[in-house]
Amino acid sequence: MTDKKISKEEVKRMAALSNLDVSGQEEKFVLLFSDTLKHLEVLDELDTSKVLETNQVTGLTNVFQDEKNSKTLTSKEALSNAKEPSNGLFATKAVFDR
Amino acid sequence: MKDLNKLNLLEALDGLKTGKFASVDLTRSCLEAIKKHDKKIKAFITVIEDYALKQAEQADREIERKGAVIFEGKPLLGIPYACKDNFSTKGVLTTASSNILSNYIPPYESTVTGRLGEAGAVLLGKTNMDAFAHGSSTENSDFFTTKNPWDTKRVPGGSSGGSAAAVASDMCIFAIGSETAGSIRVPSSWCGVTGFKPSYGRVSRYGVIAMASSTDSPGPITKTVEDAAFVLKIIAGKDVNDATTSNKPVPNYLDKEFSLKGLKIGKPRSFFELEIEEGVRKRVLDSIEILKNLGAEIIDIDLLDPRYSIAVYTIIQRSEVSSNLARYDGIRFGNDRESFGLEARKRIMLGSYSLNATLSGAYQKAQRVRTLVIKDFNDAFKKVDLLVAPILPCVAMKPGGGEDTSMFGELMDVLVEPGAISGLPGITIPCGLSEGLPVGVQLLGEMFDEDMILNVAKKFQDETDFHKSKPQI
Repeated sequence: MTDKKISKEEVKRMAALSNLDVSGQEEKFVLLFSDTLKHLEVLDELDTSKVLETNQVTGLTNVFQDEKNSKTLTSKEALSNAKEPSNGLFATKAVFDR
Repeated sequence: MKDLNKLNLLEALDGLKTGKFASVDLTRSCLEAIKKHDKKIKAFITVIEDYALKQAEQADREIERKGAVIFEGKPLLGIPYACKDNFSTKGVLTTASSNILSNYIPPYESTVTGRLGEAGAVLLGKTNMDAFAHGSSTENSDFFTTKNPWDTKRVPGGSSGGSAAAVASDMCIFAIGSETAGSIRVPSSWCGVTGFKPSYGRVSRYGVIAMASSTDSPGPITKTVEDAAFVLKIIAGKDVNDATTSNKPVPNYLDKEFSLKGLKIGKPRSFFELEIEEGVRKRVLDSIEILKNLGAEIIDIDLLDPRYSIAVYTIIQRSEVSSNLARYDGIRFGNDRESFGLEARKRIMLGSYSLNATLSGAYQKAQRVRTLVIKDFNDAFKKVDLLVAPILPCVAMKPGGGEDTSMFGELMDVLVEPGAISGLPGITIPCGLSEGLPVGVQLLGEMFDEDMILNVAKKFQDETDFHKSKPQI
């Protein structure tokens, strides 16, 4: 599982996937990640071929709720922390180039 | 009256009910303690003095108008408390100790603080933590490190370090923390107070700034076991805003006669084989003797090696962190992603990595091993009623203790992670001092068996005076 050693390129790819800029610090992350990944190798010792995954521990299934219970913020409340509210909307950077 | 801030919750309630003092006196006493000590301890990020006093005045008016009967509907009326800064409090700055949320004013209330507010509790302010709860010491706060009230050269533990330090130094009557793996019990132990981590799904996560959504559990940090039971009763229970909360009714904790006679308490061998400081080991073994003298049968049991749980926890937690922190873009609230500190970056990126195909099924493998860990506990609980163990391998550390390794938090939390990934409830209660610093012993129970843990902890507390030890500030 963890035989693949982490490389500088992989750190860059993860940074891109995570929408983070870590330029200049890649080496540091390589060391930190390798250290952590080393600790994860123990999982390979266990045979889990016949074991199901646990995604949540409460045993609840198919939880529904009445629509009348759903709360929603007013537009003013939702925008109260926005850096650049614009005509009752959030202003974002352009997604497409012209 | 002097030193009202030093009262525990039940004592404070009694004083308010019988008119010995008013909520304003009690609240002012806590605010004065904050003014006096918090320059040194640095437990609080935000103190809302004026608003707290207004809430207290309102409480006093209600008590005056309706008398003690009002406490039936508002069981915490007039009681000042401190809350970890990752609980959304409407109109009150909520930062999760992170630069990215340094200016965030929530437009809505978390279920926990909402329920406490409805019960009449008075919010004093918001407490420091490791940013986004990533850490075990408060050193990862983007703002400052909280000091341990027992020795200000040491850390209080974390991530709910501000809340634990505030309770230990009597700057509040009780506090609220949250735990993903150890974040209530670790600082409570190092600060010599009672910390209760309920079963996952017992207390709503709605409005709590998420760390790892499949293990996050809010809970009380208090001066006694009874206080923890009292607060838990109020915050626990089904919440339509958190689909993972359980429908199971919330019992009246500690209301039945209880004896340890005939009780079987398991002592997991693997937890005691770890490298544990001698003083800590001795205190915990002494505690086990006390439980034995109270009538419990102590049974050595074998659990899966905790190393597996640490690996599972690392993968699951990082994965969930990367997903939860993906929403921070600085557009709708907060600052942009450049504001993330090193620890958050590390966790987000490792999470992205473990959820990515390159690590061929790491997340799925971890979720499978998690099933094995849960089964292991279920098997153990067929033989014993609960488990006893140390909560930490050492007393409170000095700052910088974990800088060398990115696994610091996990190594410190080795004794709590198996229970955390399984969702189990657990408590830490003070069990004496080592090198003049507090040691805690943990009791771990079956899912939703909070009452068993509280009952055993209370019997232990009744038998000892450890919870009465206070730091000299």
